[in-house]
Amino acid sequence: MPDTLVPAQADRELVRRMAAGDEAALGELHDRFSTLVHSVVLRIVGDPDDAEEVLEETFWQAWRQAGRYEEGRGGISTWLVMMARSRAVDHVRSRRRFREERWEQLPEPAEMDGGGADAGEPSPLESAQADEVRRVVAQAVAKLPPEQRETVELAYFRGMSQTEIAEATGQPLGTVKTRARLALQKLREALAVLREDGR
Amino acid sequence: MSLEMTHDDVRAALAAEALGALDGEEAEAVRAHLAGCDECRRELESLRETAAALAYAAPQVPMDADRSARLRARLVARAAADRGGASADAPPPANRIGALASGDEESGVIPISRARGRRGMMGGGWLAAAAAVLLLIAVGAYAARMKGRYEALSDRYASLDQERTQLVQAIAKRDSTVAALSGPGVQVIELASTQRRAPGGRMFWDPATARWTFFAHDLPALRPDRDYQLWLITPAGPVSAGTFKPTPDGLATVQATYALPRDQLRAVAVTEEPEGGLPRPSGQPLILGTYGE
Repeated sequence: MPDTLVPAQADRELVRRMAAGDEAALGELHDRFSTLVHSVVLRIVGDPDDAEEVLEETFWQAWRQAGRYEEGRGGISTWLVMMARSRAVDHVRSRRRFREERWEQLPEPAEMDGGGADAGEPSPLESAQADEVRRVVAQAVAKLPPEQRETVELAYFRGMSQTEIAEATGQPLGTVKTRARLALQKLREALAVLREDGR
Repeated sequence: MSLEMTHDDVRAALAAEALGALDGEEAEAVRAHLAGCDECRRELESLRETAAALAYAAPQVPMDADRSARLRARLVARAAADRGGASADAPPPANRIGALASGDEESGVIPISRARGRRGMMGGGWLAAAAAVLLLIAVGAYAARMKGRYEALSDRYASLDQERTQLVQAIAKRDSTVAALSGPGVQVIELASTQRRAPGGRMFWDPATARWTFFAHDLPALRPDRDYQLWLITPAGPVSAGTFKPTPDGLATVQATYALPRDQLRAVAVTEEPEGGLPRPSGQPLILGTYGE
Protein backbone atom coordinates (compact mmCIF):
# COMPACT_ATOMS: atom_id res chain seq x y z
CA MET A 1 0.00 0.00 0.00
CA PRO A 2 1.44 3.38 -0.82
CA ASP A 3 3.00 5.45 1.92
CA THR A 4 0.88 8.34 0.73
CA LEU A 5 -2.33 6.59 1.74
CA VAL A 6 -2.45 8.17 5.14
CA PRO A 7 -0.29 10.58 7.09
CA ALA A 8 2.15 7.81 7.90
CA GLN A 9 4.14 9.78 10.44
CA ALA A 10 1.07 10.61 12.52
CA ASP A 11 -0.03 6.97 12.44
CA ARG A 12 3.36 5.76 13.54
CA GLU A 13 3.26 8.24 16.38
CA LEU A 14 -0.05 6.66 17.45
CA VAL A 15 1.55 3.22 17.52
CA ARG A 16 4.53 4.59 19.47
CA ARG A 17 2.14 6.06 22.04
CA MET A 18 0.30 2.74 22.26
CA ALA A 19 3.58 0.94 22.84
CA ALA A 20 4.26 3.42 25.66
CA GLY A 21 0.92 2.50 27.27
CA ASP A 22 -1.24 5.44 26.17
CA GLU A 23 -4.72 3.97 25.81
CA ALA A 24 -6.07 7.19 24.24
CA ALA A 25 -3.88 6.43 21.23
CA LEU A 26 -5.72 3.14 20.80
CA GLY A 27 -8.99 5.09 20.69
CA GLU A 28 -7.52 7.37 18.03
CA LEU A 29 -6.26 4.42 16.00
CA HIS A 30 -9.78 3.00 16.15
CA ASP A 31 -11.30 6.31 14.98
CA ARG A 32 -8.86 6.48 12.14
CA PHE A 33 -9.09 2.96 10.76
CA SER A 34 -12.34 1.43 11.96
CA THR A 35 -14.20 1.99 8.69
CA LEU A 36 -11.46 0.46 6.56
CA VAL A 37 -10.96 -2.50 8.90
CA HIS A 38 -14.70 -2.98 9.42
CA SER A 39 -15.29 -2.99 5.67
CA VAL A 40 -12.80 -5.74 4.96
CA VAL A 41 -13.83 -7.79 8.00
CA LEU A 42 -17.54 -7.50 7.26
CA ARG A 43 -16.81 -8.52 3.68
CA ILE A 44 -15.17 -11.71 4.98
CA VAL A 45 -17.40 -12.68 7.91
CA GLY A 46 -20.67 -11.29 6.51
CA ASP A 47 -22.30 -10.64 9.89
CA PRO A 48 -22.19 -7.40 11.93
CA ASP A 49 -21.89 -9.19 15.29
CA ASP A 50 -19.03 -11.36 14.07
CA ALA A 51 -17.42 -8.29 12.48
CA GLU A 52 -17.56 -6.43 15.79
CA GLU A 53 -15.93 -9.37 17.56
CA VAL A 54 -13.14 -9.56 14.98
CA LEU A 55 -12.62 -5.78 15.11
CA GLU A 56 -12.23 -5.89 18.87
CA GLU A 57 -9.74 -8.76 18.60
CA THR A 58 -7.82 -6.90 15.89
CA PHE A 59 -7.48 -3.59 17.71
CA TRP A 60 -6.64 -5.47 20.91
CA GLN A 61 -3.92 -7.35 19.07
CA ALA A 62 -2.63 -4.01 17.77
CA TRP A 63 -2.49 -2.70 21.35
CA ARG A 64 -0.64 -5.76 22.63
CA GLN A 65 1.78 -5.87 19.69
CA ALA A 66 2.36 -2.12 19.25
CA GLY A 67 5.82 -2.49 20.75
CA ARG A 68 6.72 -5.10 18.17
CA TYR A 69 5.52 -3.10 15.16
CA GLU A 70 8.51 -2.59 12.92
CA GLU A 71 8.47 0.73 11.15
CA GLY A 72 10.47 -0.47 8.19
CA ARG A 73 7.92 -3.13 7.38
CA GLY A 74 4.97 -1.45 5.76
CA GLY A 75 2.39 1.09 6.77
CA ILE A 76 0.09 1.00 9.77
CA SER A 77 -2.93 0.34 7.58
CA THR A 78 -1.20 -2.71 6.04
CA TRP A 79 -0.34 -3.98 9.51
CA LEU A 80 -3.91 -3.54 10.75
CA VAL A 81 -5.63 -4.84 7.62
CA MET A 82 -3.49 -7.98 7.49
CA MET A 83 -4.14 -8.72 11.17
CA ALA A 84 -7.86 -8.11 10.65
CA ARG A 85 -8.05 -10.26 7.54
CA SER A 86 -6.22 -13.10 9.19
CA ARG A 87 -8.49 -13.01 12.24
CA ALA A 88 -11.61 -12.73 10.08
CA VAL A 89 -10.56 -15.76 8.03
CA ASP A 90 -9.80 -17.72 11.22
CA HIS A 91 -13.23 -16.73 12.48
CA VAL A 92 -14.94 -18.00 9.34
CA ARG A 93 -12.87 -21.18 9.37
CA SER A 94 -13.69 -21.97 12.99
CA ARG A 95 -17.36 -21.33 12.28
CA ARG A 96 -17.12 -23.60 9.29
CA ARG A 97 -15.51 -26.34 11.35
CA PHE A 98 -18.06 -25.87 14.08
CA ARG A 99 -20.96 -26.26 11.71
CA GLU A 100 -19.18 -28.82 9.54
CA GLU A 101 -20.20 -26.81 6.55
CA ARG A 102 -18.64 -26.73 3.16
CA TRP A 103 -17.75 -23.51 1.42
CA GLU A 104 -20.61 -23.98 -0.99
CA GLN A 105 -23.05 -23.91 1.90
CA LEU A 106 -21.80 -20.69 3.42
CA PRO A 107 -23.76 -17.56 2.60
CA GLU A 108 -22.43 -16.06 -0.58
CA PRO A 109 -20.71 -12.74 0.07
CA ALA A 110 -21.37 -9.95 -2.38
CA GLU A 111 -19.18 -9.88 -5.46
CA MET A 112 -15.92 -7.98 -5.02
CA ASP A 113 -17.00 -4.86 -6.77
CA GLY A 114 -14.29 -2.38 -6.06
CA GLY A 115 -17.12 0.11 -5.88
CA GLY A 116 -16.40 1.20 -2.35
CA ALA A 117 -15.99 4.83 -3.26
CA ASP A 118 -19.72 5.21 -3.60
CA ALA A 119 -20.75 3.25 -0.54
CA GLY A 120 -21.14 4.21 3.08
CA GLU A 121 -20.68 7.32 5.16
CA PRO A 122 -17.42 9.20 5.23
CA SER A 123 -15.12 8.37 8.13
CA PRO A 124 -12.18 10.30 9.54
CA LEU A 125 -10.01 8.36 7.12
CA GLU A 126 -12.12 9.36 4.18
CA SER A 127 -9.73 11.84 2.74
CA ALA A 128 -9.23 12.74 -0.87
CA GLN A 129 -6.19 10.48 -0.76
CA ALA A 130 -8.17 7.50 0.49
CA ASP A 131 -10.75 8.11 -2.22
CA GLU A 132 -7.98 8.18 -4.76
CA VAL A 133 -6.59 4.86 -3.49
CA ARG A 134 -10.08 3.36 -3.59
CA ARG A 135 -10.57 4.54 -7.15
CA VAL A 136 -7.20 3.18 -8.30
CA VAL A 137 -7.71 -0.20 -6.55
CA ALA A 138 -11.24 -0.46 -7.97
CA GLN A 139 -9.98 0.24 -11.48
CA ALA A 140 -7.09 -2.19 -11.15
CA VAL A 141 -9.35 -4.94 -9.81
CA ALA A 142 -11.86 -4.29 -12.58
CA LYS A 143 -9.13 -4.62 -15.21
CA LEU A 144 -7.98 -8.03 -13.97
CA PRO A 145 -9.03 -10.98 -16.15
CA PRO A 146 -12.03 -12.70 -14.49
CA GLU A 147 -10.08 -15.82 -13.51
CA GLN A 148 -7.38 -13.77 -11.76
CA ARG A 149 -10.02 -11.68 -10.00
CA GLU A 150 -11.72 -14.86 -8.85
CA THR A 151 -8.47 -16.27 -7.47
CA VAL A 152 -7.80 -13.13 -5.46
CA GLU A 153 -11.41 -13.01 -4.29
CA LEU A 154 -11.39 -16.63 -3.09
CA ALA A 155 -8.05 -16.29 -1.33
CA TYR A 156 -8.39 -12.83 0.20
CA PHE A 157 -12.06 -12.52 1.03
CA ARG A 158 -13.01 -16.18 1.35
CA GLY A 159 -9.84 -17.33 3.11
CA MET A 160 -9.37 -20.32 0.79
CA SER A 161 -5.98 -21.94 0.39
CA GLN A 162 -4.54 -22.41 -3.09
CA THR A 163 -5.37 -26.12 -2.90
CA GLU A 164 -8.97 -25.34 -1.99
CA ILE A 165 -9.13 -22.82 -4.84
CA ALA A 166 -7.75 -25.41 -7.26
CA GLU A 167 -10.40 -27.91 -6.15
CA ALA A 168 -13.21 -25.34 -6.24
CA THR A 169 -12.31 -24.03 -9.70
CA GLY A 170 -11.13 -27.32 -11.22
CA GLN A 171 -7.77 -25.78 -12.16
CA PRO A 172 -4.27 -27.22 -11.60
CA LEU A 173 -2.47 -25.89 -8.53
CA GLY A 174 0.22 -24.30 -10.71
CA THR A 175 -2.41 -22.31 -12.58
CA VAL A 176 -3.85 -20.98 -9.32
CA LYS A 177 -0.39 -19.85 -8.23
CA THR A 178 0.23 -18.15 -11.55
CA ARG A 179 -3.10 -16.35 -11.41
CA ALA A 180 -2.41 -15.12 -7.88
CA ARG A 181 1.03 -13.89 -8.90
CA LEU A 182 -0.12 -12.10 -12.02
CA ALA A 183 -3.04 -10.50 -10.20
CA LEU A 184 -0.90 -9.11 -7.38
CA GLN A 185 1.77 -7.91 -9.79
CA LYS A 186 -0.81 -5.96 -11.79
CA LEU A 187 -2.30 -4.47 -8.66
CA ARG A 188 1.16 -3.50 -7.47
CA GLU A 189 1.89 -1.73 -10.74
CA ALA A 190 -1.39 0.16 -10.48
CA LEU A 191 -0.62 1.24 -6.92
CA ALA A 192 2.89 2.31 -7.92
CA VAL A 193 1.24 5.12 -9.89
CA LEU A 194 -0.25 6.38 -6.64
CA ARG A 195 3.06 6.16 -4.87
CA GLU A 196 4.74 8.22 -7.57
CA ASP A 197 1.92 10.76 -7.58
CA GLY A 198 2.26 11.23 -3.86
CA ARG A 199 5.96 11.96 -3.92
CA MET B 1 10.96 -29.47 6.78
CA SER B 2 9.95 -32.17 4.35
CA LEU B 3 9.32 -30.04 1.27
CA GLU B 4 12.34 -28.75 -0.64
CA MET B 5 11.83 -25.48 -2.54
CA THR B 6 14.33 -23.63 -4.68
CA HIS B 7 14.65 -19.85 -4.63
CA ASP B 8 12.57 -19.68 -7.83
CA ASP B 9 9.90 -21.97 -6.37
CA VAL B 10 9.64 -19.66 -3.38
CA ARG B 11 9.46 -16.56 -5.59
CA ALA B 12 6.58 -18.15 -7.48
CA ALA B 13 4.74 -18.90 -4.24
CA LEU B 14 5.15 -15.47 -2.61
CA ALA B 15 1.92 -14.04 -4.04
CA ALA B 16 -0.06 -16.91 -2.54
CA GLU B 17 1.76 -16.34 0.77
CA ALA B 18 0.90 -12.63 0.64
CA LEU B 19 -2.74 -13.59 0.10
CA GLY B 20 -2.55 -16.07 2.99
CA ALA B 21 -3.33 -18.93 0.63
CA LEU B 22 -0.32 -21.21 1.06
CA ASP B 23 -1.01 -24.67 2.41
CA GLY B 24 0.81 -25.88 5.51
CA GLU B 25 3.83 -27.73 4.16
CA GLU B 26 4.57 -25.21 1.44
CA ALA B 27 4.07 -22.33 3.86
CA GLU B 28 6.67 -23.86 6.17
CA ALA B 29 9.16 -24.29 3.33
CA VAL B 30 8.62 -20.70 2.17
CA ARG B 31 9.08 -19.30 5.67
CA ALA B 32 12.24 -21.32 6.15
CA HIS B 33 13.63 -19.88 2.92
CA LEU B 34 12.60 -16.35 3.87
CA ALA B 35 14.67 -16.53 7.04
CA GLY B 36 17.81 -16.53 4.91
CA CYS B 37 16.80 -14.57 1.79
CA ASP B 38 16.53 -10.78 1.93
CA GLU B 39 15.42 -10.55 -1.68
CA CYS B 40 12.40 -12.79 -1.10
CA ARG B 41 11.58 -11.03 2.17
CA ARG B 42 11.49 -7.67 0.40
CA GLU B 43 9.38 -9.08 -2.41
CA LEU B 44 6.92 -10.61 0.07
CA GLU B 45 6.69 -7.32 1.96
CA SER B 46 5.86 -5.48 -1.24
CA LEU B 47 3.24 -8.09 -2.22
CA ARG B 48 1.73 -7.91 1.28
CA GLU B 49 1.34 -4.14 0.96
CA THR B 50 -0.43 -4.75 -2.33
CA ALA B 51 -2.66 -7.45 -0.85
CA ALA B 52 -3.55 -5.16 2.06
CA ALA B 53 -4.71 -2.53 -0.44
CA LEU B 54 -7.39 -5.00 -1.54
CA ALA B 55 -9.23 -3.86 1.60
CA TYR B 56 -10.17 -0.86 -0.52
CA ALA B 57 -11.88 -3.14 -3.03
CA ALA B 58 -14.46 -4.08 -0.39
CA PRO B 59 -17.48 -1.78 -0.20
CA GLN B 60 -16.68 0.75 2.51
CA VAL B 61 -19.19 0.13 5.27
CA PRO B 62 -18.70 2.09 8.49
CA MET B 63 -19.72 0.28 11.65
CA ASP B 64 -23.04 1.35 13.16
CA ALA B 65 -22.28 4.49 15.21
CA ASP B 66 -23.55 3.18 18.57
CA ARG B 67 -21.84 -0.15 18.12
CA SER B 68 -18.62 1.63 17.13
CA ALA B 69 -18.76 3.96 20.17
CA ARG B 70 -19.29 1.01 22.51
CA LEU B 71 -16.43 -0.91 20.91
CA ARG B 72 -14.14 2.11 21.22
CA ALA B 73 -15.02 2.54 24.90
CA ARG B 74 -14.42 -1.17 25.56
CA LEU B 75 -11.03 -1.07 23.84
CA VAL B 76 -9.86 2.02 25.70
CA ALA B 77 -11.10 0.56 29.00
CA ARG B 78 -9.32 -2.73 28.34
CA ALA B 79 -6.14 -0.90 27.39
CA ALA B 80 -6.32 1.29 30.50
CA ALA B 81 -6.79 -1.80 32.67
CA ASP B 82 -3.98 -3.55 30.81
CA ARG B 83 -1.64 -0.61 31.28
CA GLY B 84 -2.64 -0.03 34.89
CA GLY B 85 -1.80 -3.62 35.81
CA ALA B 86 -4.97 -5.68 35.83
CA SER B 87 -3.27 -7.79 38.45
CA ALA B 88 -3.42 -5.06 41.10
CA ASP B 89 -6.33 -6.72 42.83
CA ALA B 90 -6.32 -10.15 41.23
CA PRO B 91 -3.41 -12.33 40.26
CA PRO B 92 -3.05 -13.13 36.58
CA PRO B 93 -4.32 -16.55 35.55
CA ALA B 94 -0.86 -18.11 35.31
CA ASN B 95 -0.04 -17.16 38.91
CA ARG B 96 -3.48 -18.22 39.95
CA ILE B 97 -2.94 -21.67 38.48
CA GLY B 98 0.31 -21.87 40.37
CA ALA B 99 -1.50 -20.92 43.55
CA LEU B 100 -4.14 -23.56 42.93
CA ALA B 101 -1.55 -26.22 42.30
CA SER B 102 0.24 -25.36 45.49
CA GLY B 103 -2.95 -25.54 47.51
CA ASP B 104 -4.46 -22.06 47.80
CA GLU B 105 -6.80 -22.10 50.80
CA GLU B 106 -9.19 -19.58 49.21
CA SER B 107 -9.48 -21.31 45.91
CA GLY B 108 -12.16 -23.75 46.95
CA VAL B 109 -10.19 -26.52 45.28
CA ILE B 110 -8.85 -29.50 47.18
CA PRO B 111 -5.08 -29.34 46.81
CA ILE B 112 -3.61 -32.25 44.93
CA SER B 113 -1.26 -33.21 47.75
CA ARG B 114 -4.05 -33.26 50.30
CA ALA B 115 -6.37 -35.23 48.04
CA ARG B 116 -3.67 -37.84 47.61
CA GLY B 117 -3.17 -38.05 51.35
CA ARG B 118 -6.83 -38.66 52.02
CA ARG B 119 -7.25 -41.20 49.28
CA GLY B 120 -4.02 -43.07 49.38
CA MET B 121 -5.50 -46.15 47.73
CA MET B 122 -6.28 -44.41 44.47
CA GLY B 123 -4.07 -44.76 41.40
CA GLY B 124 -1.80 -41.83 40.52
CA GLY B 125 -3.14 -41.47 36.93
CA TRP B 126 -6.74 -41.28 38.11
CA LEU B 127 -5.81 -38.74 40.71
CA ALA B 128 -3.95 -36.63 38.21
CA ALA B 129 -6.94 -36.71 35.86
CA ALA B 130 -9.31 -35.74 38.69
CA ALA B 131 -7.00 -32.94 39.75
CA ALA B 132 -6.76 -31.74 36.17
CA VAL B 133 -10.56 -31.65 35.94
CA LEU B 134 -10.79 -29.71 39.20
CA LEU B 135 -8.12 -27.34 37.96
CA LEU B 136 -9.97 -26.83 34.71
CA ILE B 137 -13.21 -26.12 36.56
CA ALA B 138 -11.44 -23.63 38.80
CA VAL B 139 -9.73 -21.92 35.88
CA GLY B 140 -13.01 -21.83 33.96
CA ALA B 141 -14.83 -20.29 36.92
CA TYR B 142 -12.02 -17.81 37.37
CA ALA B 143 -12.14 -16.85 33.66
CA ALA B 144 -15.93 -16.42 33.84
CA ARG B 145 -15.57 -14.22 36.94
CA MET B 146 -12.90 -12.11 35.26
CA LYS B 147 -15.02 -11.76 32.12
CA GLY B 148 -17.98 -10.53 34.17
CA ARG B 149 -15.73 -8.17 36.06
CA TYR B 150 -14.17 -6.87 32.86
CA GLU B 151 -17.56 -6.24 31.28
CA ALA B 152 -18.80 -4.41 34.37
CA LEU B 153 -15.64 -2.26 34.42
CA SER B 154 -15.99 -1.50 30.70
CA ASP B 155 -19.56 -0.31 31.18
CA ARG B 156 -18.53 1.74 34.20
CA TYR B 157 -15.67 3.32 32.29
CA ALA B 158 -17.92 4.21 29.35
CA SER B 159 -20.47 5.80 31.68
CA LEU B 160 -17.78 7.78 33.56
CA ASP B 161 -16.23 8.91 30.30
CA GLN B 162 -19.61 10.21 29.13
CA GLU B 163 -20.17 11.95 32.47
CA ARG B 164 -16.73 13.52 32.27
CA THR B 165 -17.44 14.86 28.77
CA GLN B 166 -20.69 16.41 29.99
CA LEU B 167 -18.92 18.01 32.96
CA VAL B 168 -16.17 19.43 30.79
CA GLN B 169 -18.80 20.93 28.49
CA ALA B 170 -20.74 22.35 31.43
CA ILE B 171 -17.59 23.90 32.91
CA ALA B 172 -16.62 25.38 29.55
CA LYS B 173 -20.07 26.97 29.30
CA ARG B 174 -19.81 28.35 32.82
CA ASP B 175 -16.30 29.72 32.15
CA SER B 176 -17.66 31.43 29.09
CA THR B 177 -20.48 32.98 31.13
CA VAL B 178 -18.12 34.17 33.87
CA ALA B 179 -15.85 35.71 31.24
CA ALA B 180 -18.83 37.56 29.77
CA LEU B 181 -19.73 39.00 33.18
CA SER B 182 -16.32 39.83 34.55
CA GLY B 183 -14.64 41.74 31.73
CA PRO B 184 -13.29 45.19 32.68
CA GLY B 185 -15.60 46.98 30.26
CA VAL B 186 -18.79 45.04 31.05
CA GLN B 187 -21.87 47.27 31.22
CA VAL B 188 -24.80 46.38 33.48
CA ILE B 189 -28.35 47.40 32.72
CA GLU B 190 -31.02 46.79 35.33
CA LEU B 191 -34.46 45.94 34.09
CA ALA B 192 -37.40 46.69 36.40
CA SER B 193 -40.98 45.62 36.22
CA THR B 194 -43.56 47.74 34.49
CA GLN B 195 -46.31 45.62 36.07
CA ARG B 196 -47.56 45.20 39.61
CA ARG B 197 -45.83 41.85 39.96
CA ALA B 198 -42.14 42.13 40.36
CA PRO B 199 -40.21 40.38 37.61
CA GLY B 200 -36.83 41.89 37.01
CA GLY B 201 -33.64 41.33 35.07
CA ARG B 202 -30.05 42.34 34.63
CA MET B 203 -28.15 42.54 31.36
CA PHE B 204 -24.34 42.24 31.26
CA TRP B 205 -22.95 43.69 28.06
CA ASP B 206 -19.29 43.44 27.12
CA PRO B 207 -18.91 45.74 24.10
CA ALA B 208 -15.33 44.50 23.59
CA THR B 209 -16.49 40.95 22.87
CA ALA B 210 -20.06 41.82 21.79
CA ARG B 211 -21.32 39.30 24.38
CA TRP B 212 -24.70 39.85 26.04
CA THR B 213 -25.62 37.84 29.14
CA PHE B 214 -29.08 38.34 30.57
CA PHE B 215 -30.59 37.03 33.81
CA ALA B 216 -34.25 37.45 34.74
CA HIS B 217 -36.25 36.49 37.82
CA ASP B 218 -39.87 36.24 38.92
CA LEU B 219 -41.10 35.97 35.35
CA PRO B 220 -44.75 34.88 35.11
CA ALA B 221 -45.29 31.43 33.59
CA LEU B 222 -46.13 31.40 29.87
CA ARG B 223 -48.83 29.61 27.93
CA PRO B 224 -47.29 26.78 25.85
CA ASP B 225 -47.60 28.72 22.58
CA ARG B 226 -45.88 31.86 23.93
CA ASP B 227 -42.24 32.89 24.46
CA TYR B 228 -40.51 35.79 26.07
CA GLN B 229 -38.39 37.82 23.67
CA LEU B 230 -35.41 39.94 24.64
CA TRP B 231 -34.83 43.21 22.76
CA LEU B 232 -31.97 45.63 22.40
CA ILE B 233 -33.55 48.99 21.70
CA THR B 234 -31.45 51.13 19.33
CA PRO B 235 -32.16 54.43 17.56
CA ALA B 236 -32.89 52.37 14.42
CA GLY B 237 -35.43 50.23 16.29
CA PRO B 238 -35.54 47.11 18.44
CA VAL B 239 -33.12 44.27 17.70
CA SER B 240 -34.12 40.78 18.87
CA ALA B 241 -31.58 39.13 21.20
CA GLY B 242 -33.49 35.83 21.24
CA THR B 243 -36.54 34.15 22.72
CA PHE B 244 -36.67 32.13 25.93
CA LYS B 245 -38.94 30.35 28.38
CA PRO B 246 -38.52 30.79 32.13
CA THR B 247 -37.97 27.92 34.54
CA PRO B 248 -40.94 26.97 36.78
CA ASP B 249 -39.33 29.29 39.38
CA GLY B 250 -39.57 32.20 36.95
CA LEU B 251 -35.83 32.34 36.23
CA ALA B 252 -34.19 32.69 32.82
CA THR B 253 -30.75 33.14 31.29
CA VAL B 254 -30.08 34.32 27.74
CA GLN B 255 -26.73 34.67 26.05
CA ALA B 256 -26.22 36.35 22.71
CA THR B 257 -23.43 37.77 20.60
CA TYR B 258 -24.24 40.98 18.76
CA ALA B 259 -21.87 43.79 17.91
CA LEU B 260 -23.35 47.19 18.73
CA PRO B 261 -21.55 50.52 19.01
CA ARG B 262 -21.58 51.69 22.60
CA ASP B 263 -23.62 54.83 21.80
CA GLN B 264 -26.30 52.84 19.96
CA LEU B 265 -27.98 51.15 22.93
CA ARG B 266 -30.97 53.01 24.36
CA ALA B 267 -32.64 50.28 26.38
CA VAL B 268 -33.11 46.56 26.97
CA ALA B 269 -36.61 45.13 27.13
CA VAL B 270 -38.50 41.86 27.42
CA THR B 271 -41.89 41.31 25.78
CA GLU B 272 -44.20 38.33 25.58
CA GLU B 273 -44.63 37.10 22.02
CA PRO B 274 -45.91 34.12 20.03
CA GLU B 275 -43.62 31.10 20.28
CA GLY B 276 -40.47 31.59 18.19
CA GLY B 277 -40.63 35.38 18.47
CA LEU B 278 -41.39 38.20 16.04
CA PRO B 279 -39.19 40.57 14.01
CA ARG B 280 -40.65 43.52 15.97
CA PRO B 281 -42.22 43.56 19.44
CA SER B 282 -46.01 43.33 19.28
CA GLY B 283 -46.81 44.59 22.75
CA GLN B 284 -45.61 46.61 25.72
CA PRO B 285 -42.46 45.46 27.53
CA LEU B 286 -42.88 43.38 30.65
CA ILE B 287 -39.54 44.61 31.97
CA LEU B 288 -37.43 47.46 30.67
CA GLY B 289 -34.04 48.94 31.46
CA THR B 290 -32.76 52.13 29.88
CA TYR B 291 -29.12 52.72 29.12
CA GLY B 292 -27.01 55.76 28.38
CA GLU B 293 -26.58 59.25 29.65
